[in-house]
Amino acid sequence: MTQFDDLKSRADERWRELVAGNRPWIRIGAAMCGHSAGALDVVDAVRAEVESGAIDANVDTVGCIGLCYAEPLVDVLKPGGSRVFFQRVSPDDVSRIVGGYLRDGAVDAEHALGYLGDEPVDGLDDMSALPGIRLQERIALRNAGHVAPDDVYQYIANGGYAGLSRALADMEPSGVIDEMKASGLRGRGGAGFPTGLKWSFMVGSPGPRKYILCNCEEGDPGAYNDKGILESDPYTLLEGMTLAGYATGATNGFVFIRHGHDGPISSTENAIEQAYEAGLLGPDILGSGFGFDIEVSLTGESYVAGEETALMESVEGKRSMPRFKPPFPAAFGVWGKPSTINNVKSLSYAPEIVARGGDWFKGVGRESCTGTVIACLSGDVKHPGMYEVPMGMSLGQVVEELGGGTPSGRPVKMVQLGGPLGHILDDSYLEYGLDFDEMREHGAMLGSGGIIVGDADRCAVDMARVLVAFCQYESCGKCFPCRLGMSHLLELIAGVAAGDATPDQLKLMESIGGTMEAASLCFHGQLGFNPLRSAIVNFPDDFSAHLEEKRCPSGGCDEPLNMPTNMRPFAEEYRAVTMTAPGAV
Amino acid sequence: MPDEITLTIDGAEVRTRPGTNVLQAALDAGIYIPYLCYYPGMKAFGACRMCVVKFDEGGPPGNQASCTVPAADGMVVSTVADDTKAVRKGIMELLISEHPHGCLTCHRIDLCGPADICLRHVSVNDRCVTCPKNERCELKDTVRYVEMDMDTPLTYNNRHLPQRVADPFWEMDLNLCIVCGRCVRVCDEVRGDSALTFTDRAGRSLIGTSHGTSLLESGCEMCGACIDVCPTGALVERDYKWDKAAKKVATTCSLCPVGCQMALEVDKRGRLIRAAGDLDAAANRGQLCYKGKFGLDFVNNRRRLRKPQVRVDGALAEATWNDAVGVVAERLEEYRDGWFAMLASPNGANEDAYVAQKFARTVMRTNSVDVSSNIRPELFPALGEMLGYQAGTNPTWELEGADGFLVVSSNVTEEQTVAAVPVKKAVRNGASLIVIDPRETELTRYADIWLRPIPGSETALIGGMIRVIVDESLDDHEFLADHCEGADALRNSLWEFDLIRVEAATGIPQDRIRETARLFARAEASATLYGLETIAPDRRNDCVRALVSLSVVTGNVGRPHTGLYPLYPGANEGGARDVGCVPGGLPGYEQVSDPEARSRLEQIWGASLPSAPGLGVRELAEAIRGGQVRAMLISGNSVNFANGQAGDLMGALEELDFLVVVDTFASELTEIADVVLPASTFADRDGTITNLERRVQLVRPAVGSKGDEEADWRIVSRIARRMGASGFDHESAEQVFQEICDAVEVYGGLSYQRLQDRGLQWPCLAADMADTPVLYAADGLDSKARLQAMSMPQAQARSDPAYPLLLARGRLLHDDARPMEIELVGKRNEIRRPDVIELHPEDAGALGVVEGEWVSVVSTTATLRGEARLNGPQKGLVSTTALFGQMATELERSDRPAPMLMVDGLPLVPVRVERLEEAAAD
Repeated sequence: MTQFDDLKSRADERWRELVAGNRPWIRIGAAMCGHSAGALDVVDAVRAEVESGAIDANVDTVGCIGLCYAEPLVDVLKPGGSRVFFQRVSPDDVSRIVGGYLRDGAVDAEHALGYLGDEPVDGLDDMSALPGIRLQERIALRNAGHVAPDDVYQYIANGGYAGLSRALADMEPSGVIDEMKASGLRGRGGAGFPTGLKWSFMVGSPGPRKYILCNCEEGDPGAYNDKGILESDPYTLLEGMTLAGYATGATNGFVFIRHGHDGPISSTENAIEQAYEAGLLGPDILGSGFGFDIEVSLTGESYVAGEETALMESVEGKRSMPRFKPPFPAAFGVWGKPSTINNVKSLSYAPEIVARGGDWFKGVGRESCTGTVIACLSGDVKHPGMYEVPMGMSLGQVVEELGGGTPSGRPVKMVQLGGPLGHILDDSYLEYGLDFDEMREHGAMLGSGGIIVGDADRCAVDMARVLVAFCQYESCGKCFPCRLGMSHLLELIAGVAAGDATPDQLKLMESIGGTMEAASLCFHGQLGFNPLRSAIVNFPDDFSAHLEEKRCPSGGCDEPLNMPTNMRPFAEEYRAVTMTAPGAV
Repeated sequence: MPDEITLTIDGAEVRTRPGTNVLQAALDAGIYIPYLCYYPGMKAFGACRMCVVKFDEGGPPGNQASCTVPAADGMVVSTVADDTKAVRKGIMELLISEHPHGCLTCHRIDLCGPADICLRHVSVNDRCVTCPKNERCELKDTVRYVEMDMDTPLTYNNRHLPQRVADPFWEMDLNLCIVCGRCVRVCDEVRGDSALTFTDRAGRSLIGTSHGTSLLESGCEMCGACIDVCPTGALVERDYKWDKAAKKVATTCSLCPVGCQMALEVDKRGRLIRAAGDLDAAANRGQLCYKGKFGLDFVNNRRRLRKPQVRVDGALAEATWNDAVGVVAERLEEYRDGWFAMLASPNGANEDAYVAQKFARTVMRTNSVDVSSNIRPELFPALGEMLGYQAGTNPTWELEGADGFLVVSSNVTEEQTVAAVPVKKAVRNGASLIVIDPRETELTRYADIWLRPIPGSETALIGGMIRVIVDESLDDHEFLADHCEGADALRNSLWEFDLIRVEAATGIPQDRIRETARLFARAEASATLYGLETIAPDRRNDCVRALVSLSVVTGNVGRPHTGLYPLYPGANEGGARDVGCVPGGLPGYEQVSDPEARSRLEQIWGASLPSAPGLGVRELAEAIRGGQVRAMLISGNSVNFANGQAGDLMGALEELDFLVVVDTFASELTEIADVVLPASTFADRDGTITNLERRVQLVRPAVGSKGDEEADWRIVSRIARRMGASGFDHESAEQVFQEICDAVEVYGGLSYQRLQDRGLQWPCLAADMADTPVLYAADGLDSKARLQAMSMPQAQARSDPAYPLLLARGRLLHDDARPMEIELVGKRNEIRRPDVIELHPEDAGALGVVEGEWVSVVSTTATLRGEARLNGPQKGLVSTTALFGQMATELERSDRPAPMLMVDGLPLVPVRVERLEEAAAD
């Protein structure tokens, strides 16, 4: 029996015990979405019930099943039954709702979301009919919300490490790359570069030290799928990185997480520790002779640190400022050694691609853009969540069906897609599919999956100034066009929002934006004008109201901008502060 | 890869080497592309984006920063496309929205004088005339090239930040900073100090210090490299901040033996106002140090001696050259044939040293002639006897390519600062570094292995390393067989260096010795730097022999990036040695004791030469007291005779019958002199200086004489002529040099003409021969290396029971481990940092000192108080570490006319340690 078979049989046994043993199994969603809704208190309450003997059950915290709007979500599985989900549970409800259901099957109608499984439960709907479940096709997130992220055996029991074990036993490194190429997977960091091709660049680079870097900087407002994966199922990333290491001949991996993302950091660190204990990392993985090490590296709080070369600087302990390219990372990466950088999502697809074959993956999504999009839906929608849907699903379907439309019932006015360097789109974009190429064709970009919806009460100028303020604050300060251009753009858009601007200042913004686009060192500057430009193009009425009528149509801009910025006081403000003596006119 | 690639830039064909970026290729070809963050010699940064160009063929699409694109064969580059120009203009508009630009964009910029009233009512703060870099501003040149409009559409935002003027020598005005990062990068990439860094980000991004607020605490070595690269007025030298250069003169720094090439800027009043390193110079690649950058103001000092003075009735009185020289000539007549001794200046030229020794030998008929800094003459003889030449073997900047270093008792980062620059760079790039030194110095911070053996046992330690290398067969067998003799004698003597004995002698554990030996031997190319500053004179010869043996055994001689670098203090001590200005040697490393050599020179000079051995600087004190020397001529006092390294010479000099001092300033020495003659500085004369890599370089006059001062060789020649001697009637330094080239074989092919460019490294035997960067290279200039048996040194006895311990004083740029504070005293920052005295637990136990207790360390001349730590490295050794910033503050504040010439070394000092209560009870 191989080492993996041994692990697998132990894992299966444990899993059987959990799902079909004597005790019920309670899973509580405690990823960021659950956490911010108070899930940790619910977990404490459930554990207290178990300790007091009121409930007899196994308890695990799990990640996000996607339905963030329903958190804290408590999932109760009676032995042999279906999973019953209770939504928006508060600690005070635990005894009544969970206890009640376990004792006599009573279902609290207000909190019950439905059941998942083959056995119908009286008085409950089948959740698989919910758009948030029905429309999802989960690959990277296949285990999210189902298995405990702190138990490697639950991951293995659900098919985990099958891909790696297959690769190590039966495949050459080049075979792994071939599968990746065949899958058509394109990098999910936003640029959509084919992952298999990227890996193949590293193969010829001289060793012995080569690095696989995983980018979980994810500082975009409105994006949380990388963090979601790490919190819900870190092993899928570790397995993906190990596969990447095997395929490219790398020796070390770094999971690069933004300082302050505490949940993902601790779940990843714990997963790495468990993987070492199980022989899934280290000098001799699964007895194959292949060795690979992974550690977590933290950035400072810098959005630009997510740029691949800035990330390398940061791993080296330097200020995270982008390098210029060439040389490219595959030749000269971290500490000058060959490196490959992939997004969390890209790497998390790899285990399933290797286990099930590239052709299978190619069947999901679209021909040119295979696989899934993990949409982080937020803003003015009824059902914000993290939904993994096939590439090509229309933006409208995501917003209207998965998101359930706007809470106010007013029509969708704008969609912010592609992160802070992306665009502010009007409702005409709802018909386009989520796909790198289709979005690019229509002047938008898919980015890494953040979708922020605004209804008819939102002002595009307000939205633009928030994004410009973000981009200004996060500019690393290295290249001149971005460092200086973003500050001026912010000053100008703040002027527009306040009704102090004249129409010709739109031209000035355009010229600054053009300089940034043409001359900036990295994408931050090159794309930093996108949100503002798209707002100007897509919402001319909002701008003309500000510029000509000096009013904000929705009132959103009447509030001062409540965002941190990295601006020096401009000359006028400086004089106002320093040169106005008390009592002066 | 081809050796040369060809690309087309704006229609012109440009050839360059592979790996050069497009910007540098264009600049090399004389095609200007504007740039602000790039700086030749440093890695491209790609921040300012001013150097954008377009590639019509063979390059990436769109406007690309040309500094970040490697040149490739067949590229067709356009630097002046319309949209490229528009991009540059767009960036410049953004840039000057943060930089005062009232004048920068004004069409009247060339018409306005400094005091003119501005017709546009531009505020004074925003005008170029209030910028210290006005007229040498790179930003201004770039603005002009970009053709800016007078009015820019963007809001102008002066930063209104206060100037930073509290640190030594250096001022920063962040309102002028364009955040190009050159200063940060030169500090990190070239100097390895990282004292400057970027601060904050986005619109608030600026530069600042990496630790706290003051340069004193951030690890700054005050080299001024940041100032030299700053394209605006943000960083400037404090002295002569506002002054404009009327001319620039390329010359050789004469403050230490590195021989940095620099441009001296002189204003129209003839004052030396600035120095900047020469980027193309082989000796220093554009780098300078705290001395060369900020220590040259003595040239302008009003206290300079300008007239000869003769002591009349106990007081010095001004005299004419004629009278003064007459007095000297008359008096010296009495002391010919051995009663006279002469010390030449360590900062002088080869011509000075040559004439000095010729005078001593042919006129005064004595061999007692030396350089006053020659306190460690033992650094050289073993090199001569074992390898061939008494000189360092390899070029300084080759150190950059070494992958292993051994540094023995040398505070190179302070004493020969620029020679440490390539060492630090190589170590940061992965080279290994072994430091053997009882003192904590800057290089110990970089060291992989830092050993502090019991003082006096260094040779035992190196012998132990050789033993390990031979035992483990890490030696270079082929090299030993082909290029050495005496290897067996050496091997057979190694039985003495049994590691158990070596451990006992040195106090270094055996495993550590093995580890050190392996590290040294396994480096592909290892270089050895040694100053032996803390090693007793009687042990230095053996120590150098051991070091040469170590290098030879591992095959680290005669190849690039290897070799031995003796590090001596005096700037031209090496040159003085070449031209025979040492007691035992004649010009060209011939021996006084060799009759053939004497007769050869007697023919050249037309005078008979004394054969009796002469006295060196360290023997003079005793000889004066013993009455053997009764008259002296001393030139320059920059070696501090008071520090004890030449014995009590200062005290002994008072007993002389007659003392002539040739100097630039009044000093303790001129106070006791009978005649004082005013000397030129290196900045107002010509000549040649030979640096530690044997490179002979030209010194050129930058500042004209303001009085009667003259170059040393002219002064000595005057005296000689007055004494009736012939052979002292050269009309120029060049003529003296021609005579040197005749007398010194290894200079045979040199001439001022050939030295014009970058100097030449001797040996260069004939005018049609190339010079010799690496000695003993494959072409076989010399015979085989001569190894010899080594013997284990005896333990060094401590003589004075009143001062039973040795104090090792160290100095660092930066010390994370201990707290410090910066206090503003007057207008200047000062470091507040209590001293820590590190004692060996056994010594502490004997004294009853406990951890954390305050103790005082007493030497014959000074007392130091500090907190005791019981972590001293060796029994008998006490150590303490100061910060360079403390010294920098003192140097700036010093009221001495030339403090940088007086920077003391850090020798070991005999001391006793007292508990503070005991001291109080006394």
